[in-house]
Amino acid sequence: MTGAVPAPTVDGRRQRSERTRQLIIEAYLALLRTKPRIPTSSEIAERAGYSVRSVFERFPDLLSLRIAATDYAVALGSAQAPLRHTDADRPTRIHSQVGTRAQVCEGWLPLWRALNANCGESAELKARIALIREAIRTRLGIMYGPELSTLDGRRRQHTLIALEAITDFESWARMREDNGLSVEQACAVWITAIDRLLPPTPAA
Amino acid sequence: MNTTADPRDGASAPQPADRIDGRRLRSERTRRLIIEAYMALVRETGTMPTAVQIAERAGYSVRSIFERFPDLTALRIAVTDHAIAEARGYGALRDLDADRPARIRSQVEQRGRTCERWLPLWRVLSSENEQSPDLHQRIRMIRQLSVMRMEMMFRPELSTTSDDVRKKTMLALEALLDFESWARMRELYDLSFEQASTVWSKAIERLLPPTPAVA
Repeated sequence: MTGAVPAPTVDGRRQRSERTRQLIIEAYLALLRTKPRIPTSSEIAERAGYSVRSVFERFPDLLSLRIAATDYAVALGSAQAPLRHTDADRPTRIHSQVGTRAQVCEGWLPLWRALNANCGESAELKARIALIREAIRTRLGIMYGPELSTLDGRRRQHTLIALEAITDFESWARMREDNGLSVEQACAVWITAIDRLLPPTPAA
Repeated sequence: MNTTADPRDGASAPQPADRIDGRRLRSERTRRLIIEAYMALVRETGTMPTAVQIAERAGYSVRSIFERFPDLTALRIAVTDHAIAEARGYGALRDLDADRPARIRSQVEQRGRTCERWLPLWRVLSSENEQSPDLHQRIRMIRQLSVMRMEMMFRPELSTTSDDVRKKTMLALEALLDFESWARMRELYDLSFEQASTVWSKAIERLLPPTPAVA
C-alpha cells in the first residue's frame, strides 16, 4: 500500500454520476416533447441508455425526477431568456418581450403541461409552478415598467393579470396548435393585444 | 299454472311495450345518476374519480356502471356531453342588442359563472383529452362555442374591422376569458367574483375596437 490519495477516483465517480443524472433528466424532457404524457420509468431509462435501476438510484421516485427536471428547465429557460431592451421604446420592448416569451412557450410547453397535470399531488411541484408564474409577472412588470408606473396599485395589478392571461402558455398553444398560426403570426397577435392593453407611455 | 291474465287487471295490466319503456326509463335514470355522481365528485375533489368512487356515490354497483359505459373514457365523454347541454341551457345569450358596456358586462358575468361552475370538470377533462380523440373533439367544440358566443356579443365592434384584426382580437379575447385565467384570479390572486369580473371587463374594453355609431 502506498497510501495514494483516492480523491481523483471519487471525483471521477461523482462526475459520472452527475452526468448520468443529467442524461436521465434530458431523456425525460425529450420524451415529453415527443409524447404529450408523462413518461414511464422504462421509457426514460431506455431513452437515456441506462437501466430502470439507474434511474431510481439517482431519483427516489418519478416525482423527484419531475422536480429535478423542472429545476433544470427553469435554470435553462432563465439563461436562454435574459432581460433585454428594458430601456428601449415601447414597440421595441413589446417586440422583445413577445419574442422571448414565444421562444419560452415553443421550448417549454410540453414540460409546462406535464408539470400542471397531476401537480395536485405535490406541494413541491405547486411551489415551482407558483415560482415560474411569479417570474413571468416580474418580467412583465420590468418590461412594461414605464407604462405600468402611470397606474395606481389596483389598476397595475389588473393590467398585469390581463397581460399574464393573454401571454399564457395555453394561449400560445391554441394559436399554434388549434389555429395553425406560424410563430410570426402568433407573435403579431400578442403584440397587438399587449399594445392595446397597456396604458399610454409617459413622456420621457 | 294458469297464465291467463286476471280480467280484473284489465287496462292497468302492464303491456310488453310499457315494461320495455319502464325499463328504459330506469336505465336512463341510472345513467344520469352515474353522470351526476361523476360531476359531483370532480367538483368536490378536483380529481378524476375511480369507478368504485362513482359507484358508491351514485348508489349502484361498479358492474352497473360498466353495463352502461364500456369504459371510464366513455363515461367521461357522456359527462362532457351532459355538461355541454347543461351549459348551453344555462348560458343563454342576453343583451345582444344592448350598448357596449352592457354587452361586456353580460358576457363577463355569464363567462364568470360558467368558469365558477365548470372549472373543476374542465381541468379534469382537458388534462386527459389527448388520450381520447372523442374527448379532444369535445374540448375543441366547447372552445368553439365560447368563441362563437363572443363573436355574437361583440358583433358591432368586430364588424367594422378587417379579417386580420378580427381574428387577432378574437384570439386575445379567448386567451383572456380562458378557464385558467379565471382560476388564477380567484385562486392565486384571491379576487372576489366582482373584482375578477372587473379585470376582465376593463381588459375587454381595451381589446375591442371602437363601437360603430348607430346609423
